[in-house]
Amino acid sequence: MIDFIIGIVASGIRMSTPSLFAALGENIAERSGVLNLGVEGMMLIGAFAGFIGTFVTGNVIIGIMFAISGPMVMAALMAFLSVSLRTNQLVAGLAIWLLGVGLAALLYRLTFGVVTVAPTVPTIPPLDIPFLSSIPILGPIIFHHDAMIYLAFLLIPLTHIFLFKTNIGLKIRTVGENPKQADTLGVNVNRIRYMSVIIGGAFAGLGGSYIALVTTGSFSEDIAAGQGWIALAAVIFGRWRPFWIVIGALVYGMVNATVLGLQSIGTTIPFQFLLMLPYLLPIAILAATFKKSVAPAALATPYKRGER
Amino acid sequence: MSDAGSPPLSNSNVDHPAYTSSSPSNPKPSQPFSAGTQDDQPVLSMNGITCRFNEVIANNDVYFDLFRGEIHGLLGENGAGKTTLMSVLYGLYKPEAGEIFVKGKRVDVKSPLDAISLGIAMVHQHFLLTPSHTVTENIIVGLKSPGRSIFLNTAEAEKRILELSRKYGLKIDPKAIVGDLSVGEQQRVEIIKALYRDIDILILDEPTSMLTPVEEKALFSTLSAMVKAGLSIIFITHKLKEVIEASTRVTVLRGGKVIGTVMTAQTTETELAKLMIGRSLTQSLAQSQEEIQAGIQKSPSERASAGLANVLELKNVFALNNSGVQALKDLSLTVSKGEIVGIAGVDGNGQSELAEIVSGLRKIQSGQVFIDGRNIVGMSPKQIRQWGLAYIPEDRLNTGLILEYSIAENLILDRWYTRPYSGKIFLNKHEMKRFAEEIVSNFDVRTPSLDIQVRYLSGGNLQKIVLGRELSREHKLLIAHNPTRGLDVGAAEYVRKQLFKQRDSGVGVLLLSLDLDEILLVSDRIAVIYAGRVMGVFDRTTADVEKIGPLMGGYVVDANA
Amino acid sequence: MTTTLILGKRLSFKHIVPFLSGGLAFLVGGIILYAAGVDPLEAYALLIKGSLGTTRAIADTLVKTISLLITGLAVAVAFKCKLWNIGAEGQLYMGALGGLLVGIAVVGMIPVVSVIFVLIAGIAFGAMFSLVPAVLKVKLGVSEIIVTVLLNFVALLFISYLLHGPIKAPGFLPYSPDIFPESELPILVEHTRLHAGLIIAALAAIFVHFLWKSKIGFELKSVGMNISAARYAGMNITKSILITMAISGGLAGLTGAVLLAGVQHRLIEGISPGYGFIAVIIALLGRENALGVCLVAFFFAVLLAGSESMYRTLGIPVAFAQTLQALVLVFVLIGEVFTRIHLPKRIKRVDEAKLENLGKQVGAPAERGKVE
Repeated sequence: MIDFIIGIVASGIRMSTPSLFAALGENIAERSGVLNLGVEGMMLIGAFAGFIGTFVTGNVIIGIMFAISGPMVMAALMAFLSVSLRTNQLVAGLAIWLLGVGLAALLYRLTFGVVTVAPTVPTIPPLDIPFLSSIPILGPIIFHHDAMIYLAFLLIPLTHIFLFKTNIGLKIRTVGENPKQADTLGVNVNRIRYMSVIIGGAFAGLGGSYIALVTTGSFSEDIAAGQGWIALAAVIFGRWRPFWIVIGALVYGMVNATVLGLQSIGTTIPFQFLLMLPYLLPIAILAATFKKSVAPAALATPYKRGER
Repeated sequence: MSDAGSPPLSNSNVDHPAYTSSSPSNPKPSQPFSAGTQDDQPVLSMNGITCRFNEVIANNDVYFDLFRGEIHGLLGENGAGKTTLMSVLYGLYKPEAGEIFVKGKRVDVKSPLDAISLGIAMVHQHFLLTPSHTVTENIIVGLKSPGRSIFLNTAEAEKRILELSRKYGLKIDPKAIVGDLSVGEQQRVEIIKALYRDIDILILDEPTSMLTPVEEKALFSTLSAMVKAGLSIIFITHKLKEVIEASTRVTVLRGGKVIGTVMTAQTTETELAKLMIGRSLTQSLAQSQEEIQAGIQKSPSERASAGLANVLELKNVFALNNSGVQALKDLSLTVSKGEIVGIAGVDGNGQSELAEIVSGLRKIQSGQVFIDGRNIVGMSPKQIRQWGLAYIPEDRLNTGLILEYSIAENLILDRWYTRPYSGKIFLNKHEMKRFAEEIVSNFDVRTPSLDIQVRYLSGGNLQKIVLGRELSREHKLLIAHNPTRGLDVGAAEYVRKQLFKQRDSGVGVLLLSLDLDEILLVSDRIAVIYAGRVMGVFDRTTADVEKIGPLMGGYVVDANA
Repeated sequence: MTTTLILGKRLSFKHIVPFLSGGLAFLVGGIILYAAGVDPLEAYALLIKGSLGTTRAIADTLVKTISLLITGLAVAVAFKCKLWNIGAEGQLYMGALGGLLVGIAVVGMIPVVSVIFVLIAGIAFGAMFSLVPAVLKVKLGVSEIIVTVLLNFVALLFISYLLHGPIKAPGFLPYSPDIFPESELPILVEHTRLHAGLIIAALAAIFVHFLWKSKIGFELKSVGMNISAARYAGMNITKSILITMAISGGLAGLTGAVLLAGVQHRLIEGISPGYGFIAVIIALLGRENALGVCLVAFFFAVLLAGSESMYRTLGIPVAFAQTLQALVLVFVLIGEVFTRIHLPKRIKRVDEAKLENLGKQVGAPAERGKVE
């Protein structure tokens, strides 16, 4: 029994990782004032790029490099639309999302054509941290994961420090709250926003590559299954603070893992209802927390020097 | 610096000896600069600055200089070009023509970063602060940490802030959250934000617009302290008293041009007013005086015959503002038919909430509100409007109008569901067009076409559209909230004339304005609001700034003062 | 900025942008094809032939247009009121469900009338489903963007559950039983699949067109454009949001019912190949008015129909069309910037000329462009 639960918790951590990566990155973008609805599209591109990179070169590291670069280009496009052209960020984000969806599917099919058996790559295996993974209960839950999760663990405090303890983090946050203030103090608002959005893209790529290279070892058009949107929700009910965002992502992962666990032992509840939970729960949490959300004051508002 | 030409005088036909002789290169030798500096070279020179926005020339060949240790006032009405000129200096705008010299060297200020590195800092009229961050974070953003570290060094920063705070008498707690501070304290943060950056020149844009008279005095003594320490200060204002009180030299701008530069000690308010406003408004000021005289003759008798009917009555009103803070505290007020009651007060003392209560946009906690004898508490804005309220909101851009709509569409915002503007189901485009043409003509709205989105029109025209809509409806009470804010002289005049017309036709007008001069000019009675309460009510004949000022700051005066 | 008189209407850069964007998208698409070893011209020729080359092709294209148009209208209505309804796909499925329930019930056997009931049920189910995010928004202030997206997944899973269980027809596949023939939408043109849904689509477009001319439409639009001004004007914010979402969800649900009654005649899991998502692009491109949506919907239908033909002959995946559609949107977004820049300049120049026509000089000239 206890092993079963341990299995679920560990699996839950794994299943939260893609949206966790994406959410940490999107948080940085939103802290600078840019709302990027295109996360799902960027994750798909990341998944595809990661997959194809690994497939072609046989090297996972190169695959991850690809996975980060692709979405960064898309993020740059998003930044161009939102920051330089100052279009409606919601619209731009939706465009990026749909472009990502279409492009990822297209490039995949163009490369592989229609195959009966989907091409795969070996997934990244879990890494046992010597010593720590032998600790009962905690060991297998926390210390028996693949390297990417450890990277995710690391990124949580790192993004926190980045945003709250560094000079550039203060610049980002001020740009997101009062860009005019930042501008008059010599901060390059556009450059900060571009940077933040592109970092967000890189993280989304990490998240996408996790799905392709760890969870499944392959790629399909709907492989993201809404995790990009979950990431967006997690940023909101994490109140734009990395440590709370983790909780948001974990909720999704844990519910998913529980569902699969229940499925495996066979329940009477039709599996579809269980599968709905990971999508219903974020809605419920949003409903409970939305009124108190403390979004960056300048979120989704374009900035131009001299304009009121 | 050679004689690059004296600052051009306007064609205002005003000739006073003080104005014809000063030029940037030729200061009078006996001027009493403070701090005893004897530099004969200005620490800043702006020569021939011309700055244009679309077709408006905001600065027209402007010459301006600043000597070390002086407090140089930049005086002018809204739109005279003062803020533009300083924004050019601060690197926010690029001028079409002209040169800037700092400490004798020609410089190119391409961005605020350049300005800061040249030792120039600006405190803006509307504070540029992040309420959710601490004082320290607001001040050090954009600066490098000591030792080129990537990490914030708040401890060092706090030390420095406290030092500056002590040096200039600007009491502030570096760890405080800016959102919790008062307006005066926030301004101190802004000033320290500027001083923190090792500057020689400090620009203040309308620094007293949000301060009480007491806070104002504190600010002026801070300015003296700064100047003693070697700073040079420019402050932008439209308030004559301020300039006389605080500055050592004044440059007057009007319509983008320099009218003249003069030593403060050698001029008076009246002269400055003439320069600032020019003949046209002086003339119309006189006209307004006449109208006011005529109005005074009218209203007492009208009021007497109407039996002092109250068109608006507020009794013991309590209300909260958006942050849940008590905004109106036991507020009582009346407005009669055919009178203008002006509410004098510093921004943020309940004016907005007062307007919102009367128009039904805000819930009242307790108390009573009567419009023309009827208790309107609980009525919807639509119902109150139908009962007889016309309301010119403070924020005409966001509340009064929908910028993406055409004139016609904006004009029916209050009546789209009524005949003839719509039938059973559909809007009546013909009627809408006819109405729009009527208003455009009656209110002289300048627009190239009736179909474009109103966001392309100027502030004055937007206000006319709001006026046109509100006044074309039958009403008994008119609330005008900051009706002339941001408008040029001509448009403001027009609006005030409309207020008089309303008053003369028997409407009761409640005027909320941050411009005390406007209140004094226009109102029949003046009520001073402070912290959500009416501190005192004056008749126009007995009102003056001496009495009103302290009340605005919350100081209760003797009843027989 | 030059303007020309075409068909009596002044056209300017603003109107060229969509065409330019389409062209650029095709260009980029062509580059991708070329890189993949396919001759772009051959591919595009196939695209045109496959969508408009034969009567059958045109009919198929029109069939697709029906769905794209109604869903496009659904999303456009919401977007115009600044309600970001990304849940049209889920609402579509719920509408199909509603239509199915009527179509297989006894009611579904009544000729003529049953079709109407099927469609009404579709609208009702779609509207009710869309009220979930609407209520969350008006009561709790929750942003509808994420909620509507997530609800798509919920809806699809729900339908999947039903099709694997409670409403599953006998057999291996997760299909529902067929609806009664009386509930089907009749075919308009013999030997094609073009069904009466085309009339429904046209009616929907007319409805939306007149919606914006109506009193209620004005209120809905205003609430979307500027909520404080709307409140100040005395408009009922809550009512407007609920009505807008209901119309949007209703139209999406109608699409589901039309797909059910016109094409598939039963409910299956893939009844919509993502129409609700393509509708987002259609709405963004054509949101200003019903005619715009019609044109874009048709254009996209051409892309989709043609891409099937490209796939059959050249093996180009259907995702190509999706990518093209997204590219058109991106280029239009970029192009819109130019209209923003040029339009004000044009106004300023025209203004000087028209000043004499409009009146007397009073006082100093107003300051242009400076508001506040």
